[in-house]
Amino acid sequence: MASPASGSELVDAVFGRRAEPVQDLADQADTVARTCHAMALRFHQGGKLIVFGNGGASTDAQHVAVEFVHPVIVGKRALAAVSLTADVATLTGVANRLGLSEVFVHQLRFLSVPADIALGISADGECENVLSGLRCARERGLLTVALTGGDGGRIARDDGVDHVLVAHSDDPRVVKEVHVTTYHILWELVHVFFEHPGVLDEEVAS
Amino acid sequence: MTRDAEGTEAMESLYPFLYSRQTDLAAVLDQVRQSTMDKAREITALRATVLQQDRTRLAECADAMAAAFATGGRLLAFGNGGSSTDSQDMASLFLSPSSGERPLPAFGLTNDIAVVTALCNDIGFDVVFARQIEAWGQRGDIAVGLSTSGNSANLLRAFDAAHERGMVTVGIAGYDGGKMAELDSIDYLFVVPSPSVHRIQEAQTTVYHALWELTHATLAAAR
Repeated sequence: MASPASGSELVDAVFGRRAEPVQDLADQADTVARTCHAMALRFHQGGKLIVFGNGGASTDAQHVAVEFVHPVIVGKRALAAVSLTADVATLTGVANRLGLSEVFVHQLRFLSVPADIALGISADGECENVLSGLRCARERGLLTVALTGGDGGRIARDDGVDHVLVAHSDDPRVVKEVHVTTYHILWELVHVFFEHPGVLDEEVAS
Repeated sequence: MTRDAEGTEAMESLYPFLYSRQTDLAAVLDQVRQSTMDKAREITALRATVLQQDRTRLAECADAMAAAFATGGRLLAFGNGGSSTDSQDMASLFLSPSSGERPLPAFGLTNDIAVVTALCNDIGFDVVFARQIEAWGQRGDIAVGLSTSGNSANLLRAFDAAHERGMVTVGIAGYDGGKMAELDSIDYLFVVPSPSVHRIQEAQTTVYHALWELTHATLAAAR
């Protein structure tokens, strides 16, 4: 087994890898603010939040849904949100019939309305089914938001995504951590706009 | 620039109501930007605190986990709400790493909704993890429970059940550790000291990511 000394050094290295990508998120504060505003407008119009991702990001999708539906801060209103990764019957059914690439598109097609928000999460920005889900959502008139990582990937470069926040790291674990901070911030700061209802009027939106 | 300013002024005198709301929007956007930067600073400072406090214990815990895996142990992870998603993420990180590392046996105790609702309905929520551990936890397995408050009754019961069976027990809590800090049944306890449930969860994610990476480093060094 490794000696405690070398173990401690590795712990330092692991923690040290987090600081810069978090600072990079702070540098994207303007995009965060505009994304929160756009999301608040959709909630104000009666839209719901639909979240999806693969692997570890599937658990983030569920985390986001519970965050909005059951606020941890007393006094914040509950907002409609659903993860497309929780229904294992539909997920495996669609994957078996049509392939994994269709699992989110299928659910979006039958569960979304134009006022909704689609939030796709992909650590490298290359997930085919997340990209096609966001494109499908955009075609249906949903607001589209993506959390990606690395260099942003194909999802960040796609015209079909309204707001993209990129966690600039090649380590998928670091990307995930920045994503958790990002969606915690999105949740908390969407509510700031509800405290100023004047900024949710249509004239201001356009 | 000057022409734009003049144009804006003219528009403002025509539609004063609209422009006051746009000023409001600018102010709110500003507030949100500032808040984003503050929260980013908070999480980086909190990670530094956790590192300072738990550097040695993280390495020791990973050594114990590596030793457990090396002798056929399995990881069982559990938590409620947002922490249930973290426990599922942690289990999946061990079982199905995305970047080519060796898969290790791990189970999320919130994955099977039939088991979870059966236990809740028939007995009660407090036993939802303990009963699963009693059903198939073995000496040499690893139990990891995540809670922001440290007070979840079903986690406390699960740690006691795991400890009784001779499992390695790892607790990841927040605030001051809550009741988890009072248990004798947790071998390695990591407490993320923050008043914010969000920052706690973010630093807890780093804790289990670090444990995963360190466990692999220890396993590789032992080969």
